[in-house]
Amino acid sequence: MEGMANPTILGYADRLSVAPGDRIRFMVSCEEGDRYRADLVQLIHGYTDPAGPGFKERVVEHPLNGERPGRRQHPRSGSYVVVDGGPDPTGSFSLAALLWPTTPAKGVQGVLTRWSGEEAPGWGLFIDERGRAALWLSDGRTVGRLSAGAALHPRVWQAVVATFDADGGRATLAVRPLVSSTNAAFGRLVELEAPPAAEARIAVRPTPSAAPLLIAAHDGPRGVVGHYNGKLERPRIVGRALSQAEVERLLADPSTDLEGALADWDFAAEIRPAGVPSLRVSDRSGNGHGGRCVNLPTRAVTGHAWDASEERYLHAPRLYAAIHFHDDDVEDVGWEEDFSLTVPEDLPSGVFAMRLRASNDEDHIPFFVRPRPGRPTAKIAFLAPTASYLAYANEKIAQETAVGQAILAHTPVLQRGDVFGYEHPEFGHSTYDLHSDGSGVCYSSCRRPIFNMRPRHKAYTGSSLWQFPADLCLIDWLDHFGYRYDVLTDEDLDREGVDLLQPYRVVLTGTHPEYVSTRMLDGLESYLNLGGRLMYLGANGFYWIIAFHPERSGVIEVRKAESGSRAWQAQPGEYYLATTGERSGLWRNRGRPPQKLVGVGFSAEGFDVSSPYRRLPDSYREEAAFIFAGVEEELIGDFGLVGGGAAGLEVDRYDLALGTPPHTLLLASSEGRHSDGYQHVVEEVMFMFPGLGGTQDYQVRADMTYFTTRRGGGVFSTGSIAWCGSLSHAGYENNVSRITRNVLDRFAQDDPLPPVRRATA
Amino acid sequence: MPEPSTPPDRDAAVARRFDDWIRPRLRAMITDELIAEHERQPLGQHSDALERVLNYFRRQPIPDKYAIVCTVPDREWRICRLSGRRGVGPALIDDEVFNSEEKAHHAVFLRRIRDLRGS
Repeated sequence: MEGMANPTILGYADRLSVAPGDRIRFMVSCEEGDRYRADLVQLIHGYTDPAGPGFKERVVEHPLNGERPGRRQHPRSGSYVVVDGGPDPTGSFSLAALLWPTTPAKGVQGVLTRWSGEEAPGWGLFIDERGRAALWLSDGRTVGRLSAGAALHPRVWQAVVATFDADGGRATLAVRPLVSSTNAAFGRLVELEAPPAAEARIAVRPTPSAAPLLIAAHDGPRGVVGHYNGKLERPRIVGRALSQAEVERLLADPSTDLEGALADWDFAAEIRPAGVPSLRVSDRSGNGHGGRCVNLPTRAVTGHAWDASEERYLHAPRLYAAIHFHDDDVEDVGWEEDFSLTVPEDLPSGVFAMRLRASNDEDHIPFFVRPRPGRPTAKIAFLAPTASYLAYANEKIAQETAVGQAILAHTPVLQRGDVFGYEHPEFGHSTYDLHSDGSGVCYSSCRRPIFNMRPRHKAYTGSSLWQFPADLCLIDWLDHFGYRYDVLTDEDLDREGVDLLQPYRVVLTGTHPEYVSTRMLDGLESYLNLGGRLMYLGANGFYWIIAFHPERSGVIEVRKAESGSRAWQAQPGEYYLATTGERSGLWRNRGRPPQKLVGVGFSAEGFDVSSPYRRLPDSYREEAAFIFAGVEEELIGDFGLVGGGAAGLEVDRYDLALGTPPHTLLLASSEGRHSDGYQHVVEEVMFMFPGLGGTQDYQVRADMTYFTTRRGGGVFSTGSIAWCGSLSHAGYENNVSRITRNVLDRFAQDDPLPPVRRATA
Repeated sequence: MPEPSTPPDRDAAVARRFDDWIRPRLRAMITDELIAEHERQPLGQHSDALERVLNYFRRQPIPDKYAIVCTVPDREWRICRLSGRRGVGPALIDDEVFNSEEKAHHAVFLRRIRDLRGS
């Protein structure tokens, strides 16, 4: 934007978590100039606000550090299927597919193509510049086009069949809407007429094409373009011109098998008991023309036959034989590698970054160095909530969601990264955003520049912190007091389970570990049952059900189902994860509210100012004495970098009905101290009524809790995202810091925690 | 038969009529005391009257909506309008620079009051 310089240097790494000996690759784009400097740094503290300790990093001496040649690289976004080899009919042929287009008016979109432009031989089924289904043929000199008589309807299934008779040069194109009560933007009461069948003479004799066979896009001089938006089902190529009777039969029953199919892609074929994570698509023609998905289009979506009789695709693959493609899907923006780092054996576990500098600008590409598996180097582990970092990657709510300012309870304060990310949607979205066609973003990947996962990035909630830069406040605090700690990531926990955590006396969460997989929850629960200790130093944790992609590291999937504070809601019938087959949505709706694991769970959110906690009687019990040693005050955290208090942003509540262990001590709470900008969370509101804000609802509060588990384990929770923003106040000497130290020092000891007795009154 | 691809959305007419109804009522609530209250404390809990006015401002549609943009980290903030079109960044409304977020918040509020009174 005018008045703000664009970044001159951008980059990303191919992974987030590495151990000594692992190799991590860096991709860099010099937006200006042709040289940059790279340095390996350890990140300590990111928040630059003068009220805090300021930016802190340590350069790590390494032979890689230094000047490098660079060049501009352009991101590639948009999903499609590529079929290596594949049929290339040069005689008569037919193309058929079922389409549920979402943006038919957006311009030329490839459906099933071998096409790199008019000047080269090729053919394809397209949506043309006027939103009509179209058949194009080129022999490199002459181009023949045939378009349907009317534009395709958005969000309606339509069968499209094109035929080409090479001998007579005759082409036909037929489109038939297939509206049921459940499968379209509207129901059967809306009359949609099929456009009259189109027919033309096309004097083109197709010759072999050099273009790749693509589904949902077409090739171009500088790579794949013409991305299709919408769902696509059963594209096929038949090696002859279908007769009019055959076309009619196919339009009436799109499941009809056809003689002479050269390729017949069945997107349901990969559906297995463990989901449909496969990046492959199968050819059922028997000719072996399977394809491969690029940039993660969405599978496990309803197809034309979906009739609401089944919501779990595993049970009815035929109803889920579609893939939803988006022109802004991003799994990897596809930059060339600039250099790679083999993590030195003597590099301590920690939060690191490759710092890039060029033309008076700077970028950091963060990554996490964990110890080698089974070789812990400390008693304390910080579990970096990388799934949640990804969920918010390049989030755009403040700039495109009308109620965003109402949720914030103030005008957003945009940072450069927010603006640049919005100006460049080709770097992909967060799971809080919509695709360009209005459908929710259910995947997020680390292989792209992520502008808000940067140490200096402030949240648009104002002078405030969110996710990665917020968690650096905890890293800085650990560093300040000289604690030795290992850093682990969500994906490590997902892959290795309890074995990852078991060596540690205590595990610290980040400020907002919101997105968790089954294996992560299982790992944490098992760890606690084996005597482990957990410090949950945040809020709205353990909330969304996600999965990591089993074939691609650094990728999460979530389906925002019909409850929860959600930026979008999945389409009916699409609540199950493609990556595992599990139902997504909120953990509380699958019997695992966060209270069962950490004693507290999401209760309210607001983003104007933060508040202190006030101690409760349980904080004076003998079992809690170690937590409050040296704390004289009744009010805890009436200060801090995030909204001026330790209880703020999102806050969690103790609730026996939601599974808080009955012996849990409720140590302190912030009830009655929040504004009406803080509203009770929607998943707990059965009926709407006035008075759900902080000044009227006692459950709008952050609770601090403590309970013990078997074998001397225990959980301490603060129930507030803002907590860690208060740690550095007054030179790190304050009651938030004192309480955190007290708990960490005790939790890091080997001897078991004395069990908290069940309260009797 | 209407073309379902581009349906006219009658909802917009209701939204306009509602707006015509509510804006005079909100205008009548704007007083010097209310403005002073916001200046004293742009963020946090306000009087019921000020909350009501702010709730209206905050939920307006995105195109041309005011936002604050930090143009120099920790030092300078300016007022912009959002585009409502992905790919198009916000546009600064003028040259005025604020040295705190709070001042920018209040300046946005004053603009919105002016716009409300001007309609």
